[in-house]
Amino acid sequence: MKILVQVFGRYKDITGKETLQLYITDGNTLQDVINAFVKKYPSIQNDKNRMMVTKNKMLSSFDTTVTKDDEITLSPPVVSGG
Amino acid sequence: MGKDRYRRQTLVKEFGLKGQKLLSSKHAILIGGGGLGSNSANLLIRMGIGSITIIDYDTIDKTNLHRTSVFSENDIGKYKASVLKEKLQSVNTDVQVQGIIKKVTLKNIDSLLTAADVIVDGTDNIPLRLLINKKSIQHKIPWVYAGVYETVGMVMAILPKKTACFHCITQNIPILKTKEIPVLGSLPATIAAIQCNETIKILLGKQPAGLLIYDVWNQCFDTLGIKRNPCCPICGKK
Repeated sequence: MKILVQVFGRYKDITGKETLQLYITDGNTLQDVINAFVKKYPSIQNDKNRMMVTKNKMLSSFDTTVTKDDEITLSPPVVSGG
Repeated sequence: MGKDRYRRQTLVKEFGLKGQKLLSSKHAILIGGGGLGSNSANLLIRMGIGSITIIDYDTIDKTNLHRTSVFSENDIGKYKASVLKEKLQSVNTDVQVQGIIKKVTLKNIDSLLTAADVIVDGTDNIPLRLLINKKSIQHKIPWVYAGVYETVGMVMAILPKKTACFHCITQNIPILKTKEIPVLGSLPATIAAIQCNETIKILLGKQPAGLLIYDVWNQCFDTLGIKRNPCCPICGKK
């Protein structure tokens, strides 16, 4: 399945794009989208379990199912320093 | 209110005399007086917030000095809340500045938030922000989250039951137990300025746009629109 993903923050710098296509070969969840993203850009590995992922503008759990028509965004994790 | 003090600000058409008057009637509670909090307090007081209570239990350490322009080497070892009250009160005597040396906990937070029109986040950890968020929703007090890490800062104004809450953006994210958070020195002032803007905007009735993400190193400035999660255990419909 081909998924269109919008990326934010430093992910734009890493990917060189604001929007990218990811091909999901296994499964149909946001976790599978993240896996495909990290596989393509291994430097994001450390964010794998913490990144902010929205589906149709709502932050969603990683086991949420996706379709090719969903609006998906990936953003770096929430920061907590002060 | 000294007319001359705010003359240039009241010339801003989005703000005006009306905005200045409204701002001077508002009370902010600022929790955490470190890199973010000290800079945010400084700006809110200079811009003419009516009153502000700065809450922090910690003392100033040498490692704080690289990321705030308010503290100096002479302040090392003194309580942040006391130093901020003393220094910032002298910046603007029209503003009522109070400093409280206290750790914010589940037991005392309700009494500390009394009469707040807005809560400004100067904390440095997720659990305290989740507590602030819960109480913000419970007492219907807007709050403005801000956080920094390395070269990235985030800001989000949260209107109870109107916008996504902090829990909506942090659910499922494991909390990192980092002893020392790396922060570029100039970042807290930058993010605090954005936080101050968001604070003033919501106090004047402007709707927030979402989560602001600013990566100073990679020069990325984004606004991520996030909807409220109807199933959120904190702000969702119960």
